[in-house]
Amino acid sequence: MGLDARVMPAAPSGRLRLAPEEHRRLSRNRRLKREVLGWAFLAPMFLCFVIFLVLPVLGTVWWSLRSGGLAGDTKFVGLKNFIDLPDIVGASAAVTNTLVFALISVPLILVGALAIALLLARIERGGSIYRFLIYFPVLVPGVVAALIWLFMTNVDFGLFNGVVRGLGGKPVVWLGADHALTVLAILDVWRNVGYWALFFVAAIIGLPKELYQAAELDGASAFARLRYLTLPLMRRIIFFAVVVATIWGLQVFDTALVLTSGGPGTATTTVIYRVWLYMFGATNKIGVASAISLVLIVTILLLTLVQMRLLRGRRGGD
Amino acid sequence: MTAEQHARIRVRQRRRREFGRHLVLGLVAFILVAPFYYVLLASLKDSTEIFSYPPKLLPIPPYFGNYRDLLWNTGFLRWMFNTFFVATSVTVLKVFLDSMAGYALAKIEFTGRRLVFLLMIILLMVPIGALIVPLWSMVSGLGLINTYWALILPPLANPLGAILMRQFILGLPRDLENAARLDGLSEFAIYWRIVLPLIKPGLVVLAVIIFTDQFMSFTWPLIATTSDELQVLTVGIAAMRAHGGANYGLWSASAVMSLVPIGVFFFVLQRQFLARSLAGALKQ
Repeated sequence: MGLDARVMPAAPSGRLRLAPEEHRRLSRNRRLKREVLGWAFLAPMFLCFVIFLVLPVLGTVWWSLRSGGLAGDTKFVGLKNFIDLPDIVGASAAVTNTLVFALISVPLILVGALAIALLLARIERGGSIYRFLIYFPVLVPGVVAALIWLFMTNVDFGLFNGVVRGLGGKPVVWLGADHALTVLAILDVWRNVGYWALFFVAAIIGLPKELYQAAELDGASAFARLRYLTLPLMRRIIFFAVVVATIWGLQVFDTALVLTSGGPGTATTTVIYRVWLYMFGATNKIGVASAISLVLIVTILLLTLVQMRLLRGRRGGD
Repeated sequence: MTAEQHARIRVRQRRRREFGRHLVLGLVAFILVAPFYYVLLASLKDSTEIFSYPPKLLPIPPYFGNYRDLLWNTGFLRWMFNTFFVATSVTVLKVFLDSMAGYALAKIEFTGRRLVFLLMIILLMVPIGALIVPLWSMVSGLGLINTYWALILPPLANPLGAILMRQFILGLPRDLENAARLDGLSEFAIYWRIVLPLIKPGLVVLAVIIFTDQFMSFTWPLIATTSDELQVLTVGIAAMRAHGGANYGLWSASAVMSLVPIGVFFFVLQRQFLARSLAGALKQ
């Protein structure tokens, strides 16, 4: 698309001179055009955003102040749902389960991912094969992953107990009340460690090489380089990963549904699982369901804000 | 010690470290991939072989009954079609809408754009799973439960794409669009004929992100549909697990079959897939 004389507006000779009111009119028109264009380009996506995200968030607040069922009438009950929440066994167990789940899975995911990334960033050949293999579990839908793990954790013929027997131990009931939540968390580690490993690899490759050369010349050991260079340099990246991985961990649902059906008992019933149960498996629980949802949403919003502050700090600081 | 010896020792040391790294990474990769081999193996065994101990490590002769069962006696093909139909629709629509919104946010100075962007960032992480109560009542109020619309419309709300596209478009040099403007191109033509071709790599990455997210999505499709005809892959498999009784052969065949398409995509578009991991970094 070259500059074409036929399309070009005639170039004014010398400076363009306009009367002041003419000038104002033109710039007002241009500004108006900009407003219309901007909103026109934004509108299709923004409408979907408002209808299916902003309104539901507000809707959750509205529902959380009411009692009743999905189909029947609901009435306003104020903050009653929130006041009752800690005493409703199912709801508080769901919150506890989700927190424990995140507390087990997030540190394992991130420490594992960081370790893999440190190795992966420094190997000279074959990196793409490892990347492919390590990332593959990330692309497995939770439902399918749970199905595979259902298999592996089977008491009689599963892979896990096969290994345990091979080592001379007694078969373990992996999905029993003692271990189910841990197994669910480990399953999450399997699915997410590759994602964060590759995320960290990109960050490590981006670190300034001169610092490492200088450190090596000074005779710093590999551990010292990790402790005093890599980790401090990646502090913000790691914190970002902690926040995002935690937010994702709080949403666990599909693997719990397929692997353990929330059980045994309510041992693996998570927050979203409980909301779903209250919606379709119970009557008159819609207010409580919304109240737990709102707790989850507010938690996620707070974590998002922490992260935004952090990123703003980065832009201003180093 | 001569310099030559010294150098040789260093090379040897480097090789040994490299070998150590390969050893650990190989082990990690093996552990991460082993479940896939395990399930592939199981899918090629009949029900007595699955339960036998010690397990056979090679499925010879392979048994294809599980796959036959899956393809002809369950709704698997229908689930697969639904997943692909919904994921493709969402991807095409969303790439288009998000790039337009990203263009507006990056290049057009209109009132409220900062506020819109801030709102998108704030709500970026709110998952659809936390919104199922109001979403369900809204979508069912619109009479859309058990339609493809119910599966396609709500995912369009996710602001990640618009934020990414804004970032990509901000990186383009201003001269290009100014030249185009002098050429008398309309704003839409600038977006369509200049900006879109320039951010093609970004569009592909975005498409991969949206498609895989849709392929894996479960919570909303579970709630938005009750009829068998509209079940997507993840919902169909969960229903099979919940209602069909324990049929490990069938389950493993369905796991393998649902991983084939995503595995092929991954193999072909490896770079774009791996850029998914970087999308988080891009957000910064």
